[in-house]
Amino acid sequence: MIEINDVTVMFGGVRGLNALTARLPEPVTGLVGPNGAGKTTLINVLSGFVLPTAGAVKIDGQDLKGVKPHRRAAFGIRRTFQNEQVVENLTAAENIAAVIDNVPTDGPRGKLIDKALDFVGLCARARVLGRDLNAFDRRMVEIARATVGKPRLVMMDEPGAGLAEDESDHLRLVIKAIHDHCGAQVLLVDHDVDLISATCTATLVLDFGSRIAYGPTAEVLADPKVRAAYLGVVEEAA
Amino acid sequence: MSEQTLAPAGALRVNPTWIVGVLVALAALYELPDLLQDYWLRTFNSVVALAICSLSASLLFAQLGMVSLAQYGLLGVGGWFALRISHGLGVPFEIALLAGGVAAAIVGLIVGLPALRMRGLYLAIITLMMAGAIQVLISAFGFPDGGAGILGKSDTTRQMMARPFVADSDSAYFRYSLVVLALCYALVQAHIRSRPGRAWAMIRRGEVCAIACGVDIVAYKVWAFTLAGFLAGIAGGLLAGGVGQLDGSAFPASQSIMVFALTIVGGAYSWFGPIAAGLLLRAFPALLNDFHVDGNIATMVFGAGLLHALITAPQGVAGQIAGAGASLRKLVGGGKAAA
Amino acid sequence: MPDFAPFFVSGLATAATYVLAAVGIVVLYRASGVVNFAQGAVGALAAFVSWAIVQHGGPDVVGWIAGILVAVALSLFYGRVLAPRLAYGDPVMRAVATLSFALILLGFIDYIWGEAPRKLRLPTDTSGFEWLGVRITYTRAVAFGIAATATVAIMTFLARSRLGLQMRALANNRDLSAMLGVRVLRADAYAWVISGVLAGVSGILLADLQRLSGIALTFAVIPAIAAAVIGRFASLPATVAGGLVIGVCEALLTPVPLIGPFRTAVPFLFAVIALLWMQRRATYVYR
Repeated sequence: MIEINDVTVMFGGVRGLNALTARLPEPVTGLVGPNGAGKTTLINVLSGFVLPTAGAVKIDGQDLKGVKPHRRAAFGIRRTFQNEQVVENLTAAENIAAVIDNVPTDGPRGKLIDKALDFVGLCARARVLGRDLNAFDRRMVEIARATVGKPRLVMMDEPGAGLAEDESDHLRLVIKAIHDHCGAQVLLVDHDVDLISATCTATLVLDFGSRIAYGPTAEVLADPKVRAAYLGVVEEAA
Repeated sequence: MSEQTLAPAGALRVNPTWIVGVLVALAALYELPDLLQDYWLRTFNSVVALAICSLSASLLFAQLGMVSLAQYGLLGVGGWFALRISHGLGVPFEIALLAGGVAAAIVGLIVGLPALRMRGLYLAIITLMMAGAIQVLISAFGFPDGGAGILGKSDTTRQMMARPFVADSDSAYFRYSLVVLALCYALVQAHIRSRPGRAWAMIRRGEVCAIACGVDIVAYKVWAFTLAGFLAGIAGGLLAGGVGQLDGSAFPASQSIMVFALTIVGGAYSWFGPIAAGLLLRAFPALLNDFHVDGNIATMVFGAGLLHALITAPQGVAGQIAGAGASLRKLVGGGKAAA
Repeated sequence: MPDFAPFFVSGLATAATYVLAAVGIVVLYRASGVVNFAQGAVGALAAFVSWAIVQHGGPDVVGWIAGILVAVALSLFYGRVLAPRLAYGDPVMRAVATLSFALILLGFIDYIWGEAPRKLRLPTDTSGFEWLGVRITYTRAVAFGIAATATVAIMTFLARSRLGLQMRALANNRDLSAMLGVRVLRADAYAWVISGVLAGVSGILLADLQRLSGIALTFAVIPAIAAAVIGRFASLPATVAGGLVIGVCEALLTPVPLIGPFRTAVPFLFAVIALLWMQRRATYVYR
């Protein structure tokens, strides 16, 4: 359960987030909105990279205030990045091991790594160096890193960008399976409306740092306010 | 945050097949002392110590992209403590060596800590100033040589540092130094292949990524910097043992810059780099001396070498050698295939 | 209780040279992104060229002009020929590259002239005036005056002139400035010229006030950089204040019994304190 209570973020004079309030209980929640709406800002608040000027965020009832950014991974907050951040000099397995070093685990390291690689379908490439993995495999390594251990929340920032169709299908399967695999909620930011519809049971829509809609994905995407702000409306011929 | 500068695969990693080559080389080197005259043997003793100092700089640069311009100064600190404890307490050489290492690690850490949380540029600046400050202190205090008092400086005869029991002669000491060098390499490898190495690789990839994966960046930078200080201190003790005394005027800040410069020129990303750096730092000026060429030529050459290395970004001398080795292998292999 | 007054005065003069060098470093850093560790070495060569010309019977003025020209030429050469060729783009490596240039210059100076103790003499050394009971040579007054004038001139230049505006744009965002039509290379070149002039002037003055030594002058870049650190490499007023404080404190410690010989570590202490002060609030920037 993600609880965002009245969160405001000011960047100088610009309101990144404007008294945002939302309760997100679904296993996979979408986060959409036009550019500059505050999606990345919200994720950064959850990651601890940005301190809210006002308001609080709670995950599973625990307040995030005071949890340092580098402790949030152990707390259970993980993320994947828009520009993938796989370590080139380490193998896929070592990339995952690097995360295991810093989070609470319940089992021998080797098994956890195998389990994570198996989940994303990268078992065969465990010993391949990051620099030798293609873009899609790197995305999968990031997801494996994010789902190892006992995460509570996995945030994904535009994971679908630049993927081919079969890769996109595989990504959808993985995203939908995350909750069953490790018990974590997923917060998915993407511009690909099809991806959002296919994976997210509920969606939060932001515009200018405020929430303009939240609910079951299909309803939200059909909402006229959302259409006006984000999806676009067909102009009536004058 | 930190940009990912060019870091080729397996920074400072040792390939298993290379280990065999290293062992063979070490065995050959073991025989070397019997072939060298006194002066050159003592020079090579210093080369080994300097190689360890260069290793410390290389560790920081290759693993984390951190530029420390104080490693030679920390070598001086380590040498000072090793000498003081050896002369003052009469402890075995190994204890003095370790004490020097620990002392240098602590000094380096205290001074470097403010900068470790900030951009890499500030670390370079602070370590440069640290080298300058150490220069001032060392030239004022000198090195202990058997006297009493805190500074341990004697007014009468200067004592040489007591050597290890097993290695009293110059050639035995050379072999002893090689063992210490190998242990230092092993220590670095052990770090790289386990938890700190993974964390360092994450930090190098990007601080944002590292934080998101739970790495405590400052803590791991501190760990690396402490380890580097320890290695530099060990190098200092080893140098003191080899030469017998250390000279208070021989630790100018420029020497610390040159250690870093030659670490890059020698090849920061290769295991052979620090050894090449040690050779360049000590053997090259000695060679110039043999030919009665002004030592300042060496300074200019080293400066130009570093500039060249930064312009062309090669893997340094070690990289050139490795590249030449690869071409040679291809040549031989190609020749075989054609035959 | 030693008389601190003469040390205060000489400290102000030395501090003036630190300020000149520090301003050069900050202006260059803001415009080009390079922390010029070779500032001192360039100044050293300017001082030696100046001295050598006078030694060979040339007029003082020719010596000074030649020295400053050499400094400008070296700076321009580094900035427009060597610096663009670096394979590394990050600030640390670009600063390290200037260090290599400093090594080359230092080696060259020591090769040609060696480290014999020397003094560079300026005509203003011999005469002076009294102020508050302390004798001030004209050299010291001139040094202070040049530093003050140069700083004000540069600050006005940056704030008011077109080229100054362009340099500030460069400092802010180089790529964006290029897109807006700022002639980046030209502004860059001018920054290097300014840096060279300031290096030359401060090198010649410091060689007179302290000593003409390749090593001493090259490493005089350390107090200059400490001052720049205090100014966070951004604020000229803070840099000037930092340079003055460092120079004066260094000098004031000279007569103090135990600490005297270690006063050259003063810039280092100030830099560390400045860093700690900068970190007092944990701020995190996510790019």
